[in-house]
Amino acid sequence: MAPAFQAANVTVSGLVYAIHTDMTPEGNHADAYVAVDSDTLYILYGEEQVVRMQGARRIVSAFAAHKLVTHPLNALGELKCERLLTTARLWGEADGEALVLLVFSIGCLPFAERLIKVINNLRQGIDPLREVFTDEHVFCLKCGMRFPEPERKVCPRCLDSKSITRRLMTFFANYRKQVFSILAVMFLSTAVSILAPYISSKLFFDEVLTPGGGYYGMVGAFVALIILARGVTTGMNVVYQYVLAKTVPWIIYDLKLKIFEAMQRLSVNFYASKRTGSLMNRVTRDATNIYWFFVDGLPFVIVNIFTFTGIITIMCLMNTELAVICLIIIPISLVLFRVLWSVFRRFHHKNWVYGSQLNSMVSDSVNGQRVIKAFAREEEESNRFSGISRKQTDMDIGVENTAFTAFPLIYLFMFTGQVVITALGGRMVLEDRITIGTLMTFIAFLNMLYGPLEFMSWVSNWWARCVDSAQRVFEIIDAKPDVQEPDDPITPEHLRGDIQLSGVWFEYEPAVPVLKGLDLQVKAGTLLGIVGKTGAGKSTLANLIARLYDVTEGEIRIDGVPIKRLPLALLRANIGIVSQEIYLFIGTIADNIRYARPGASIEEVIRAAKAASAHDFIMRLPDAYETRVGAGGQDLSGGEKQRLSIARAILQNPRILILDEATAAMDTQTEAEIQASLSRLQKGRTTLSIAHRLSTLRDADSLAVIHEGRVLEAGTHAELIALKGEYHKLYGMQTEALNVISESDA
Amino acid sequence: MTHPSVLEKQTTEPEQNTDIGLLDTRETDFYKTDGGFTGLRYKGKTFPRVSFRRALPIGKPDSYISVADDENKEIGIIRDIGDLSHTQRDVVREDLAKRYFCPSVQSVKSVKDKMGYVYMELILTGAGTTYEKSCAINDVNRNIRMIDGSRLLIFDVDGNRYIIENIQALDKKSMSRLEPYMF
Repeated sequence: MAPAFQAANVTVSGLVYAIHTDMTPEGNHADAYVAVDSDTLYILYGEEQVVRMQGARRIVSAFAAHKLVTHPLNALGELKCERLLTTARLWGEADGEALVLLVFSIGCLPFAERLIKVINNLRQGIDPLREVFTDEHVFCLKCGMRFPEPERKVCPRCLDSKSITRRLMTFFANYRKQVFSILAVMFLSTAVSILAPYISSKLFFDEVLTPGGGYYGMVGAFVALIILARGVTTGMNVVYQYVLAKTVPWIIYDLKLKIFEAMQRLSVNFYASKRTGSLMNRVTRDATNIYWFFVDGLPFVIVNIFTFTGIITIMCLMNTELAVICLIIIPISLVLFRVLWSVFRRFHHKNWVYGSQLNSMVSDSVNGQRVIKAFAREEEESNRFSGISRKQTDMDIGVENTAFTAFPLIYLFMFTGQVVITALGGRMVLEDRITIGTLMTFIAFLNMLYGPLEFMSWVSNWWARCVDSAQRVFEIIDAKPDVQEPDDPITPEHLRGDIQLSGVWFEYEPAVPVLKGLDLQVKAGTLLGIVGKTGAGKSTLANLIARLYDVTEGEIRIDGVPIKRLPLALLRANIGIVSQEIYLFIGTIADNIRYARPGASIEEVIRAAKAASAHDFIMRLPDAYETRVGAGGQDLSGGEKQRLSIARAILQNPRILILDEATAAMDTQTEAEIQASLSRLQKGRTTLSIAHRLSTLRDADSLAVIHEGRVLEAGTHAELIALKGEYHKLYGMQTEALNVISESDA
Repeated sequence: MTHPSVLEKQTTEPEQNTDIGLLDTRETDFYKTDGGFTGLRYKGKTFPRVSFRRALPIGKPDSYISVADDENKEIGIIRDIGDLSHTQRDVVREDLAKRYFCPSVQSVKSVKDKMGYVYMELILTGAGTTYEKSCAINDVNRNIRMIDGSRLLIFDVDGNRYIIENIQALDKKSMSRLEPYMF
């Protein structure tokens, strides 16, 4: 970019950062070089002459500049990126009016955000590139292409399958003995199976049936030898398959355990960004993929390689001329098989897609039966099914037709090879250049090559799938949690519970901040009520204080210590969260309450349950504290589950308690009951209570109204009412609603 | 053309009692601000920064366009761009084209399938310029989508969209490269 700016009379030495974007402000495609120095933003529009594309990198030979636009930085206000749909724009304020500086396609957004960061750093007088390249690894360093899945730092285009294979092999390290014994037995078994046609053809015809042969007339002994050879191969096959089947499951067990342990280590963000289904797949399907390749695929690969090289070697030793003819047939068949398989793969892929469409359609229809019936749409549903099913049927017919015509053709080709061998070999026998036994062995060997040839033409796809699965598995094992343990932790003896948030910024998605410089303070032992509209960032606060996520900017301190310096276990042991979302694990009620402190005695569990007003309903259940809950267990109502989660928090005995809409989904009666148990829980602790209904917060020592990621108002109930602001408005609306209800009841 | 009758019609049908907030296009005045945004003067009010969103971006891109203010609150709906005057139509169209930027694919130079991702090199045209771009597509079953019998939409991993307006008009080579991924 430097020569282009130089040509446009920009002093290149002063530039600190530059990016490439791809549109004009009017929304047309154009190349735009954007650079910044200490006081000016330069935008150079023009057209790149791309020589060629190297991966995602454009090799540019020249830049034809059309227009240079400059903006003095001090004339621009705060810069913002706004995401449109497939495009985004960077804008700021100049002379009190909003001014669009850049428009670009969505792929350039991360670069534009970096540019803003650089400009902000320049304005603060700090190192302009500070914290700018933190997301460098969103792009593949080798080819420059953005990773297909941002959270998956893998470029499939540049993936090194050899290193994955090597790594996969390390899992076999603990089972060296078994692996070597398997290989040895496989080798022997293959050697015997290759020798079998040699014995049954070459030796049998030339030495046993031909007068003057070394073993002339010993038919019985030879038949016994043939049977023995077969018996030995079968026996050895059984042995290696047995050892293999005993070894590979343990290797997969190790692998699954590693994945699961790694998943426990990862931050919440990881789970939010990955669909649960895909995670379950990794533990089960990917591990199973690897399993089947090693149990079913790899042994065949090894056996086939042994067989292939063995046969070719013996062929060459027996007769070079005939061997050369075979060597011509083999690669051609291999190519034919590969072509055929690629056609099949396409068919199968399409078939698979239609199959899954059909499956989702059926499950859609089964789950939606009530709705279908209610709207009398049975016939349309049947038509929809028939449409997709017909496509799949067509595809099935296509697959079968291809299989029925193409495979026989390939076999016909290979048969031609056999015919050529028979013709040439026959002539050679008549000319006494080879024996009948040699010819028969050649034909037998040629037949033995079909299987390995066909297998080798498609095993590479199987292997690719296995490598892909292995890669996915390693990603989880290698993933670094976003929330890291501190390098130099501070471990206070006990926490009082003073919380201070200063200038906290946070975004779940780039360029969409949820908290925008939020300041908040809670004194130890007091109750702070947090109110605000849905989406104002209330629940995010709970996530940040418990360090389920880390702040983007700013700092959170507990007792004056930044929470990033507190050991995670200590921090979380001291923070209890009771939220609307309650999860009960499979197990008894007692186990679930004890989840916070597994060592707690049953008396402590009952005490906690009583404090949470849960004891009475638990005792009414047939198995009381031993009632099984969670998936497949006893159904509990929302209020009952909530009381269990409060009991859990009571048993945990945290210094800081966060109630995140804990009673939002309850009816008034249940809410009143739970409120009573919550009040007991709050005593002596720092409590942050996030609530929609202001009635829940009547005991609060102070209140904070959060609006668009900032604290809009803070103070006591009386102070906020007197302020006549947002809180006053909310309070007015809710009391009015209550009045309406009570009037209509009256 | 405006249809005030649609606004005023009150029948016993429950859904017709709900006003969808159609804008009276006789009173709208969309204009471009000096800063490059689109503004609206409507019934005595001025909105200095409005945004447009299509209700049916694929099926009817020119109908039912929601107009929102700078806080993303809907001001109203344009029933059809054709109802606006020529100059205003251009202003709205330019803004929409920016938000829904979707270059059209002229030809497909290469398609490579690597471990479940498809990498394409495309020759695109958008607003008069022709250029080359390489993109990666994840989950092709979802991200390469036939819309009706002839149009094909491609969504890449960055969030860009590309359209093939008429699949039948695509050259043979491009077609054979794309064919395995079309359903």
